[in-house]
Amino acid sequence: MARKIEDIFNECYERIRSGESLESCLRSYPEYRAQLDPLLRTTFDIGRRSSYIQPRPEFRHWSRVRLETAQRYPRQPQQAPAATPMASGWLRHGWALAVTAGIIILLGTGSTMAASSNALPDEPLYPVKLATEQIQLAFAVTPTRQAEVETDITNARATELEAMAEQGKTEEAAKAAERYNAQYEKALEAIADAEGTTPQPTDFVPPGTATPSEFAIPDITAPPTPVTTATDNKTTTVTAPPTTEQPSTTAQPPSTTEQPSTTTAEQPPATTTQPPTTTTEQQPATTETTVTTQEEPATTGQPSTTTQPSTTSKDDSRAARIERMKKALDHSSDKSIAALTDAKDKALQSHKNDWQKAIDTVNRSREHRGRGTTSDNQTSTDNQTQDRSSWQRHDSHHR
Amino acid sequence: MLSEEYLVQQAVNGNQAAFTQLYNQNFDRIHRYIYIKVRNQAEAEDLTQDVFIRALGSINTYKWRDLPFAAWLFKIAHNRVIDHVRKQAKEKRAPLEEAYARSVEDPIQMTERDYEVYQLKTALEQLPEAQRDVATLRFIAQLSIAEVAKTLGKSEGTVKALQFNATASLRKALRGKLDG
Repeated sequence: MARKIEDIFNECYERIRSGESLESCLRSYPEYRAQLDPLLRTTFDIGRRSSYIQPRPEFRHWSRVRLETAQRYPRQPQQAPAATPMASGWLRHGWALAVTAGIIILLGTGSTMAASSNALPDEPLYPVKLATEQIQLAFAVTPTRQAEVETDITNARATELEAMAEQGKTEEAAKAAERYNAQYEKALEAIADAEGTTPQPTDFVPPGTATPSEFAIPDITAPPTPVTTATDNKTTTVTAPPTTEQPSTTAQPPSTTEQPSTTTAEQPPATTTQPPTTTTEQQPATTETTVTTQEEPATTGQPSTTTQPSTTSKDDSRAARIERMKKALDHSSDKSIAALTDAKDKALQSHKNDWQKAIDTVNRSREHRGRGTTSDNQTSTDNQTQDRSSWQRHDSHHR
Repeated sequence: MLSEEYLVQQAVNGNQAAFTQLYNQNFDRIHRYIYIKVRNQAEAEDLTQDVFIRALGSINTYKWRDLPFAAWLFKIAHNRVIDHVRKQAKEKRAPLEEAYARSVEDPIQMTERDYEVYQLKTALEQLPEAQRDVATLRFIAQLSIAEVAKTLGKSEGTVKALQFNATASLRKALRGKLDG
C-alpha cells in the first residue's frame, strides 16, 4: 500500500530536523519532489521566523524571580487572611514584583520606598511595602540572609500590630495578629534552614558537572562593595554530597587572603541597578578561606587576614547572626503581647474578648516554640530559661 | 546529561532545582508558542509566567506514564490561551488583526524581523483552528508528533494530516514573503 504524502512529509521534516539535508530527503522520494520541496522550504521559513521570538531579558529575569518566590512560598490556605484583599491581589499579580523592583531601581532610596517602609495596614502604600519585602526576599540568596530578611519582616509585622493596638483598632489589630503569626512561622522555618550546614542548591546540576546559571540574583539589601571575585557561574549541585569537589567561584586562593577586604559566600553584588549577572551561594566549608561578612566586618575579634581556612570563625559568625535573629523574634512577640494586653486593659468591657483573641493568636506562635504565655502578659524573662531548649526542639523538628 | 524523565521525577518529588531546570528547558518555547497565539507581548508574558506557576502548583500530581512532560506543559499553555481568548471575546476587545493593524500602521518603523514574525502570526491566524493548533505546536513549539497528539487529544495520523494541510496553507499565505 502506498504511503500517504503526509507521512512522507512528516518523515522528511523529522530527518531534516535531525540534520539531514533537504536534497537528501528529496532524493528518497523523487516522485514527490515537486510537492515536498516547497512545503519543506516553508517549514524552514516558519522556523526561521519563529526563532526571532525571544523573551525580553527583563521578562526572563523577573519570571525566574517570580518562580523562585513561588517555589519558596507555595500558597497556603491558612495564609489567606495574612494580607488585606488589596495587598494579596497586588501580590498575586506576577508583575507586582517587577514593577516594585523597577520603582526601587528608579527611585533608589526615594520617598516612595521610604514612605512605604513605614506604611501601616490601613494605608495606601501598604501593598508597596509588602511587595518590597518580597523583592528583598527574592534577592536574599543564602539561607542565612533569607532568615534575616524574614526576621526583619516579622519585626515589621509586630510594629504594625503594636500601632493598631495603640490606636485601639480592634479589627485591624486582629488581622495584624494573624499576619504576624503567619510571618512568625515563616521566620522560624527560615532560621531552622539557616542553621542547617548543607548549602542550599540554587540550580540543578548533575553530580560532577557544572553549568552556568542564566540568572543570578544579587542581594540588594546588603551594601554595595567592591567585588573582588568575578563569579559568572553558579555551581552548586543538588545531589552531590558536601564533600564533592566543586569549582569554587567565591573562595579566595590562599595568596589573596591577606588583603584587607575579604569576601564570603554572601558577597553582595557590585551594583544594585544593573540586571544581576553574578551571585554566590554558601559554599561547602572546605572551600572557604575567609571568615567575615559585610554585615559583620570585625565582630569575631580575629584578624580578617588569616592565612588558614577558618571554618570555625565563619560558623561562629553565622551562629551569632542566628542568635540575634532568635532574640529579635522573641522580642517581637513580647512587644506584640505587651501592646495587645495594654490595649485590652484600656478597652471597653465589651471589646476585651476581641483583644484577648488577638493575644491568643500571637500566643499560638509562641507556643509553637514553647514560649506560650497565659492570657495575661508574661515577660520574656520568665521564658528565657527555656529558650535554648525550645529553639532546639523547633530546630530538630524541622530537621 | 540527565534524562527528562529523571528530572521530571525529581521535580514531582519536590526537588525545586529539578523543576527550575525543566523551566529553563521549556521557557523559551512556551513563550514562543503563547506569543504567536495571543495579541501582544504583554499578554504573552503574563500567560507564560502563569503557565509555569500553575505547573509548579500541580507538578506533584503529574504522572509520566499518562502524558509526556512537554505535552503536559503545553496542555496547560494551550488551555490558558483558550481561556484567555474566550475571556477577551467576552470583553469584546478588538480582534487580533485589528489590534495589529493599529500597531503596524507604519511597518517601516518595525524592524524587519518583527515584521516577519507579524506576517507569520497573521498567516497562522488565517488557518482553521485545528490546523493552527497543530502548526503552532509542531513548528513553533517544536513538539514531536506524539506530543502534539497527546496535547490535543488527537491521533498521530490526524495530526500528520493536519500538519500537511497547515503547511500547504501557510505556504500560500507566506508565498512571496519567503526570505523576507
